Amino acid sequence: MHYFALLLGPEPTSAPDPDAHAAEMAAYQAFHAKAASAIRAGDALTPSATGVRITGGPDAPTITDGPFAESAEVAGGYYVFEADNLDEALALARDIPAAKYGAVEIWPTVFYTPPSQPVGTSWLALLLEPPANAVAPGTPEWEAGIAAHQKFGAAAGDRTNGGAALHPPATATTVRVRDGEVLLTDGPYVEGAEVANGFYFIDVADRDEAVKVASMIPATTVELRQLMGVSGL
Amino acid sequence: MTNLDGVFRREWGPAVAALARWSGDITIAEDAVQEAFAEALQAWPRDGVPHNTGGWIVTVARNRALDRLRRESVRPGKELAAVVDDIRASADHADVHPVRDDELRMMFTCAHPALDPTSRLALTLRLISGLTVAEIARALLQSEAAVGQRITRAKNKIRHANIPLRVPPAELLPERTPHVLACIYSVFTEGYFSTAGPSAIRDELCDEGVRLAGEACSLMPDERDAQALAALVLLQDSRRETRVDDCGALVPLDEQDRGRWDRGRIARGLDRLQLAAGATGPYLPQAVIAALHATATSWQQTDWAAICMAYDRLIEVVDSPVARANRALAIGFRDGFAAGLSALDEVADDPRLARSNVVASIRADLLRRAGRRDEAVEWYRIAMDGNGSDQAREFLRRRLAECGGAY
Repeated sequence: MHYFALLLGPEPTSAPDPDAHAAEMAAYQAFHAKAASAIRAGDALTPSATGVRITGGPDAPTITDGPFAESAEVAGGYYVFEADNLDEALALARDIPAAKYGAVEIWPTVFYTPPSQPVGTSWLALLLEPPANAVAPGTPEWEAGIAAHQKFGAAAGDRTNGGAALHPPATATTVRVRDGEVLLTDGPYVEGAEVANGFYFIDVADRDEAVKVASMIPATTVELRQLMGVSGL
Repeated sequence: MTNLDGVFRREWGPAVAALARWSGDITIAEDAVQEAFAEALQAWPRDGVPHNTGGWIVTVARNRALDRLRRESVRPGKELAAVVDDIRASADHADVHPVRDDELRMMFTCAHPALDPTSRLALTLRLISGLTVAEIARALLQSEAAVGQRITRAKNKIRHANIPLRVPPAELLPERTPHVLACIYSVFTEGYFSTAGPSAIRDELCDEGVRLAGEACSLMPDERDAQALAALVLLQDSRRETRVDDCGALVPLDEQDRGRWDRGRIARGLDRLQLAAGATGPYLPQAVIAALHATATSWQQTDWAAICMAYDRLIEVVDSPVARANRALAIGFRDGFAAGLSALDEVADDPRLARSNVVASIRADLLRRAGRRDEAVEWYRIAMDGNGSDQAREFLRRRLAECGGAY
C-alpha cells in the first residue's frame, strides 16, 4: 500500500550556510539511494512565504499569501512510499533527514493516483481539515466528499496530475529521531491543528493559474506550495 | 454457568489470536469468537461441554466469520470487502487452530509503538486478557464510552495503517520486545499500584500481569528481560495482601507482616530471577531489590548495601529521578540518615519531580527516623499537599500524627 510522508519542521529564517546546505542535500541523496525501491514520489517544497492558503471552499474562497504565522512547524517536503505495512513505512521515515530536527508524519492513503507525467516544479495542493471534520472511508460523509472531488475532477482534472486521499488522523503516526533514538507518537504531530487529509499535484504554467485551480478544491483549507524540483525523483 | 466463565476467559485470547491470524483482521476475529461464545452458551448446557473446548470455539468462530465475510463480500464498498479476497483464497480448505505463536503475534501487535501507550494497555486487556470494555473502564478509571472509543480507534489504525499482525523480524525485536514487556508490566502496575477503583478488578489485573509475564517467558524462552519481568511481578505480588491495611492505608514495608507474604510466589520469583541473569533492561535490578526485601528476615536484617548496588544499576539503565530518590532512602539505611538526606538533596531539584511528592515523603521519613521530628512534621505536610493516592495520604496522615503534627 501507499503511505504519504509529510516532512514538518521549523523553517529557516535566513539563507542557509552553503556547507550546511550541501551536507543536507547529500543526506537526502543518501536517503534516496537507500530507499529507492520504496519511494514513488517526493520533493522539497519552496518556502512557505511563497505559498498560498485558500479557505472557505470553492463557493467562497479566501486567499492568503504566505508565510502563515500561526504555525511554527511548516511543511517542508513530502514523499509517497510504497510499503507492505506500517513497520516498513516507519523504517523509511526514520531515515529521512528531517526526522532528526523536525518530524515526519506517516499517513496511510485511501487511494493514491500516481502522477502520469513528471511533476517537476509544479504545485502541491495540501488539503487540510480540522481533525473533527475527518471522516472515515465507507461512511455517507466520505461518499459525499468523493462526489465533491469527482465534480472538481470533471472541472479541473486536466490540470491535476495525480494525488491521494488520506485516512483519518487517528491512523497517522509521527516519527522523530532525537539523539539516535526513534520516537513514535500516535496521531499527527501538532494536536488540535488542521491536519492533512489529501493532496493533489497541480500542473499549470503559473502561480495565478495554480491558485485558481486550488480554489476549486473542496476542502476547509488548501495549502498551495510549489515543488522545488530538486529531488530528481 | 460460572465454570463456563472460566473456560471462556482461558480460551478467549488464544481463539482471538488464531482467528486474527487466519482472517488478518482483529475485529472480525473478536466478533467471531464472541459469536462462538454465544453459541456455546446455547449448545454446551444442552449437548455437554466438548472435550476440546478451544478447538470447538475456533471452529465455530471460523464458520461464523466465513458467513459474515460472504455476506459482506456481496456488498461492495463495505470496509470488510478488502480482506475478503485474501481469505477466500485460503479459507475453505485451510484449517485454523490456535498455536502458541498466535498469542505472541497478538502481544506484539497490541503493544505496537505506533499506538498510544494507554491504547496498548486497553487493547491487551481486551484482546489477550478478555476483559470487557466495562471492566477495562473500571480498571483505568475512565468512562466506558472513552475506553470503547479508544479500542475502536486502535483497531481502526491497525487495519487502515496496516500494523502487521506478526512477531517482528529479528532486526526489529530488540526495539519491540521492550514495548511488549512494558505493556505487560503496566497491566500489573495498574492493579498493584492503582490508586482507586474496586479491589476486585485490581486483583484481576495483578493476576493477569503475573500470568502474561509467565506467558512472555514461555513464548520467548531466551528473552532474559522477560524472565526478569516475571521475577519482578511475582516478588512484588507476594506482598499484595499486606501492603494495604483494613482501613485502606498503605502499610510500609518495615511494618508489613512478613509471615503473610506469599512464599510460593517468592519461590517462583527467585527461580525466575536465576533465569534472568544477564538481562539488560530495567526489570532485573528492580527484581533484585524486590528479592532482597522478600528474603530478608526483617527490616533490620535487610542487605542495604546490596540494595544500594541494585539501585546504582537501575539508574544506569534508566535515569529515573524516582529511582534516585528511593536510592537515597536505601543509602540512609546503609550509611546513616544524614547520608541519605544529602543523597536526596542531589535529586530534589529534578524538574521531572516537580509535580510529585516522592522527595517530600522520603525526606520526611528520613528526618523522622533521624529523630528530627519538627522538620519531619513540616515535610509530611508538604508531602500531603502534593499529589498522592488516598491510600498514601492515609499513611502520611498517620506518620504526621506519630510525629506530633496534624494536617
